[in-house]
Formats: sequence, structure tokens, C-alpha cells
Amino acid sequence: MSDEQSALHQTGRAPGDPGVWFFIIADMAMFAIFFLIFMAGRHEAPELYRASQAHLDTRFGLANTLILLTSGACMAKAVMMARAGDGAITLRYLLLTLAIGLLFGISKVMEYRAKFAAGIAINTNEFFGYYFAFTGIHFLHWIIGCGVLIVLIRRVRRSGVNAENINWIESGGTYWHMVDLLWVMLFAMIYLLPPGGAA
Amino acid sequence: MVQITTDNSYGTWRFCAWNGMIFMGVFIIFWGIMGHNVPPYGGDLEASVIANYFRDNANLVRLGMAISMTFAVSYAVWGISIGKVMDYILGRDHILTNLQVWGAGLTVVPILVSSSFWLTGSYRPEALPDEILQLLYDMAWLLIDLAYSVTSVQMIALGAGGLRDKRAQPFFPKWVCWYSIWVGFMFIAEILMPMFKSGAFARQGILNFWIEFMIFFIYAPIITFYQLKAIKRIEAGEPAA
Repeated sequence: MSDEQSALHQTGRAPGDPGVWFFIIADMAMFAIFFLIFMAGRHEAPELYRASQAHLDTRFGLANTLILLTSGACMAKAVMMARAGDGAITLRYLLLTLAIGLLFGISKVMEYRAKFAAGIAINTNEFFGYYFAFTGIHFLHWIIGCGVLIVLIRRVRRSGVNAENINWIESGGTYWHMVDLLWVMLFAMIYLLPPGGAA
Repeated sequence: MVQITTDNSYGTWRFCAWNGMIFMGVFIIFWGIMGHNVPPYGGDLEASVIANYFRDNANLVRLGMAISMTFAVSYAVWGISIGKVMDYILGRDHILTNLQVWGAGLTVVPILVSSSFWLTGSYRPEALPDEILQLLYDMAWLLIDLAYSVTSVQMIALGAGGLRDKRAQPFFPKWVCWYSIWVGFMFIAEILMPMFKSGAFARQGILNFWIEFMIFFIYAPIITFYQLKAIKRIEAGEPAA
């Protein structure tokens, strides 16, 4: 453990700006409500949800999960390198985080296009209404996350890893991990969970 | 010390700050309860149900909407008072302050126009076919929900501006600033409303109506509370940041 990590551990503070955590908790509370609504709908109409879920391509969901988790791992490395004071490596990991993260967008667009080509849209039925709504709102979070990463890259390029930038990187990293976490939840709930618990 | 403004009419600042609460009170009572908009009639209802709403409650809806239109401007008045406090955070004529003031000002427009649709429906409902009354009702709801972005501009600008406050004890605490940004951002769920006539994202749905309007209703009291405290500090001689 580096001195910086050790110091952080000893202070017991959450990484990044405390205010960002308020945003993240509020956002996750909103997604928790999304999940409850989806589960309630699934409970009401298991047959509809089962038939609709069969039209989802789990390969896209799995690929997106791996992309975001890998990108998240790079982000974690970027935070560690920033705390260690290595600006060049931090920058490299931030660029890698963004490059891998961008694959999520490509994969998501391909998945949406395949759905539209199959005649599936947001108003097809309740399941697909929620599928497009929840993954669409998550997609907006991803777009904002990419914007945040670009800001972080510009800041590190301009002024290295000073105390202010470390706070920015920790805050941005926390947000990016939230994007990962929400996707993992969405993937499990929409793509994998068998409606009604029966095959 | 940098002089931000020669305007020391703090009583007027305070009165304008209270306009946020005046707006919310009027909006809930006259637009919401009297106008039968809490909750709205569902997007999946027959035109005759909407027509009967206008015909059976014509006088209440007329009064509710007339009062709502009269007080809609309170929202802009409130935003201008917030702008005065933001001047003390960001300096005079900062772009975030301008965005906040314009966002609050433009929020008045969809409230006025959509209220006028409800008012038009209630003006001579006995002479209009059911489908026309349904059209007016749909137009009102589509406008008031889909105009969310002007209010988002106000909220995100206020949050971003407040975060730049370098005081040991900022005028707006960080959590309030992030709450403001989050509310402004989460309004984007309104964009889904035209796609649904029933369910959580429909105009009467749990997300589109109950949650989005609830976070909007508690927004003004939170901001007004810290705004009034900030005005008190400025009046007591606290310098600009």
C-alpha cells in the first residue's frame, strides 16, 4: 500500500468530493425505484416478461458488462496512480478507461439497431418500454461519464496530478464505477433473471 | 472588498426569495388540487372521461388556472433573487448566474401556456366535442412535462455556481448544490412521457408524475431556506467571495 493510500485509509474518508456522493446516492435511489417497478411488472405479467426477455441478446449484455468492468478496473488504476503522484501513468490509464468505455456505446448502438430492425420499439410492450427506458437513462449516464473522463484527461494533461486533480479523479472515478454498478444490476435483472423464477 | 452591487434593498431580496414558496403554494393548491392535476387523468383514458372532467369541474378549473397563470411569474421573481445571492458567490454578471436567472424566467412560459390550455378547455366545454377537450388536456400535459429542460438549466446552473463558493461555510451547502444538479438531470426522464399512455413513465405514472413532481416540490423550500440564510449573511456585511 502506498503512503497516499495508507493516508487515505487512515483518514477513513470516502474518495472524492463528499457532494458527489450525495448525487450518486440520489441517483442510485432513483434506479432502485426503477428496479422495484420492473420487478413489480415482472411479477404481474411473468409470461409477457419471459417471452420478451427471449428476444434479448445476452451476448450484448455480457459484452457490455465485461467492457464496463474492464474500463472500471482501469479507472481504479488511474486513481491509484494519481494518488501515487505518477501523472504520466495516470493519464495513460484515464485514456485506456475512456477507450474501453467507448466500446460500450458502440455495442449499445448495435444492440438498439438490432432491436429496431426486428420491429421492437419502446412501445412494443411494457417489458420493452422499461428495457429501452432504463437502459436509455443508463446510456445517458454513460455519455456524461465519457464527458467527465475527457475533462479529467484534459486536467491531468494541463496540470498533472496535484491535490485538486486527485480529488477530481476520485470523484470522476466514483461516478464511473456507479455507471458500472448500475449496468451490472440492469444486466442481471433485465437479461438474466427468469421471470416468475420458472423456466 | 469588492463591491458587488449598490443595491441594498434586502427586504425586497427577501420578498422575492419568498416568491419561490408563494409559487409552490399556488401551484399545489390552484393548479394541482383545484385543477384536478394531482394526479393527472391517465393518458389511456377515453376522451369522454377527460371531457367530463372539464364539464363537471369547469368553474374550479377556470379559477385554478387563472390564479396559476397570475402567479406563474413568481418563479421568475424567485430566480432573480437567487441570482442576487449568486452574484456574491461568483461575482457580478457571471454566466452561471445568467443561466440560472434565464432558466427560472423561461420556466414561467410553459406554466403559463399549458395553464392556458386547461383554461381554454374549461371555458366552454359544453360546446366542444370530447376529442377537442382531450386534445387540449394532452397538449397541456405534454407541454408542461416536456419543457423540463428550461428548469434543468436553472437547477444545474445554480448547483454548478454554488459549488464554486470558496467560503468555509458556503451559502449553499455542497449537498444542496449536488441535489440541484441531480434534480435538473433527472428531469430528463420526462422525455419518455410521450411514448407511454400507461405505466411508470406515463403522465400519471409513479416516475413521471409522483417522483418527478415530488422532487420538484421539495426543491424550492430547500433552496429558499439557504437563500434566505445567505441574504441574512450578506445583509450583515459578509463580503463577496
